[in-house]
Parts: sequence; structure tokens; C-alpha cells
Amino acid sequence: MFAHLGAVAAYARRRGSRDADAVAAEVMTIAWRRLSDVPRDDPRPWLYATARNLVQADARRSARAAAHGAGEPGDLAPPPEIPELDPALTEALRSLSRLDREALLLVAWEDLTPTQAARSLGVNATAFRVRLLRARRRLRARLDDSSNGSHDETTHLDLETT
Amino acid sequence: MSDSIIVRLRRANPVPEVATAPGMELFARITALPGDSRLVASERRPKGHRAIVLAFTVLAAVVLASTAYAISHWLGGDVVKPPVTKREYVAAQKLLTLPPGYSWPTFRFPPDAENSVTPRGAGGGHAVMAAQWSWECYWVAAIRTHDDAAAARAHAALNTLLAHNVYEAPAGAPEEWTPSPLPSQPFMVYAHDGGLERTRAGYRLAAAGDATRIAQSCRANVPG
Repeated sequence: MFAHLGAVAAYARRRGSRDADAVAAEVMTIAWRRLSDVPRDDPRPWLYATARNLVQADARRSARAAAHGAGEPGDLAPPPEIPELDPALTEALRSLSRLDREALLLVAWEDLTPTQAARSLGVNATAFRVRLLRARRRLRARLDDSSNGSHDETTHLDLETT
Repeated sequence: MSDSIIVRLRRANPVPEVATAPGMELFARITALPGDSRLVASERRPKGHRAIVLAFTVLAAVVLASTAYAISHWLGGDVVKPPVTKREYVAAQKLLTLPPGYSWPTFRFPPDAENSVTPRGAGGGHAVMAAQWSWECYWVAAIRTHDDAAAARAHAALNTLLAHNVYEAPAGAPEEWTPSPLPSQPFMVYAHDGGLERTRAGYRLAAAGDATRIAQSCRANVPG
């Protein structure tokens, strides 16, 4: 389990955590305390799911703090859910629902198989494969739109959509 | 999966390298915490659960030894049985302070503790960790309730702890490194992996009113 600490920190960093090492340490602490819940043969999906919850909880806390005007706005702004990539890809990823995006990234960045990724998201493998297929199509369409210059500049990004 | 979209995403991975393995200090901190009580409780269950219990017991024994290497050798490098470690822990409590409202957490051993050993001084190291975590949590509460006096008290207590009870091993030092001469106070040793500097940075942020870092440490460690 501890061998995956680096992978979990990398996951948190890829999801925009401002303190990925602390998130990874917290994930390991939770895993240690709930050792019987952690699949011994393949802990990564469980660890990533826990990291996801922590990163999202931190983002919500930061957003609430920013909304209440506490401290310096720059310090309290919620962390970006995806780091800055090339602009077209960033825009295309942000246009996806959170679940679609996470499905793609678990496979592409975390190198999980669809079965592992489904386990991490708590959905069955068949449903995940369907979601992944649709997410790929949507992302491709978005990128095609973008490269053709037909992107609708007024489109709003709904980061909360699932 | 070699779909072109997936390939493009893979190429754009912003963190392509997996970060480092856990430092001993972090490993020690986590494994010094009580493990999953369900695994211990399951010892009473028959058959299928025995393998899990055995695995946990072996892991816990290994972990105790590793933990002790990573944290403290208060009075020397030899190993001692759990009763000695518990006595060290109790003795260290007389030399350290906890914030108001906090009590010393129970020092837990795995089910087969009588067969395990820890390096001498590990009990003192555990007490230093418990004090550190307690003051961090106290500080978080003080910042959130805008209790400046309590925050200053926590800051001072943690500075004292870092100054007198916490050491950082030199770069390249072996895991069993201890300060020389050996301190008369209970102490713990951070590995030379940036952990101590991260802790100090967290305290600097907290002193400026940002409890984020120490809140994470507090949540992760939750002293009793």
C-alpha cells in the first residue's frame, strides 16, 4: 500500500491539489486506519477514490472560504480541477462533465484499466466502458470544433456537472 | 488502450513522473497510529479471518520496528520489550506538555505484542509525536476561533518542541541515526527528506493565520 504513495501524490497533483504530498499522506493514513477496506490485491482504485474525495473536499472548503472573503483571495481560490495543459485540451476537458473527465483521466494519466477505473469511481465496469466511450467521443468532437475554429466562445463551463 | 484521444491525453500528462517513495518519517508517523480495529477484532473470528489477522500482526510487528528506527532512540540503539517502551512513554509525558483539554493517547501494541521489540527510546519518540499533533490541533482550533492567545501558546509550544525534541538526520545518514551526544530529553528524528522543512513551513503559514497545512496534519493524526 505504501508503495503507492508516490502515485497517489501524482494523482492529487494532476487534479490540481496545491498540497499533493499532504493529500497523499492523508490518504495513506486513512488507508492504514481502514486497512480491511483496502483491496490487498489492487489498492490503487481505492486509494485514488480516497484522494479524489480529499481533493474535492479541499476545493469546496477553499471555495467556501473565498466566498466568505477570508484572507487573501489568491490564497483561498479553489484549486483548479485540471492543471493547465495546452489551451485547446484544457478547454475541451473542462467542457466534459466531472465524471466523464475523471473516467478519461483515470485511464490516460493514472494508467488504470477500465475495470480498475470503474472500481475507483464506484460504478460497474460495463457502465464505465459506455461512459468512457462517450467521453472520448465528446472530447474528440470538442477538439475538432476547436481546431476548426468553430468553438462557441459563449459556452459556459460547468465544473459541477456530473 | 491506444485510442488517439487517450494517446493525446497521455502525452499531455502534467505529472508524468511518479513522485518519490514515502520517507521513513512519514511511514513512521502513519504506522505509529492505531491500525484498523476491525482487523484486531476479527482475531476472534474463525477460519477465513486468520490470514488477515496474521498478516496484520506481522505487518504491525515489522512496522513497529521500522517506526522505531525512524523516530527515536532516546537512550541508545538496543531493542526493548513493550513494557519498557510503555514506561519510556509514561516517563516522557512528565517532560512534555499537552494543550489544555488534551490527554495522552493510549500506546497500543499489536495483539502479539509480547513477541515484538522496539528500539530503546521509541516510547519517548511516540510521546513527542503525540505532543506535536495535539498542539497542532489546538493551534487549528485557536486560529479558527480567533483566539490569539491560544494560537501564540501553541506556536510557542511547537517551537520549543522543534528546538529541543526534534532532530533532522543529516543527508545520507542511516535510518538508525541518532544525535550525538544523546539528548537527555525524549526526541524524535526526521529523515532528511524535507519533512521537517515542510513542518516548519506549515507553522510559518499558521503563524500568519493560514491553518491549512497544520489542519491537514491534525486531521491525519487526530491525537486522543
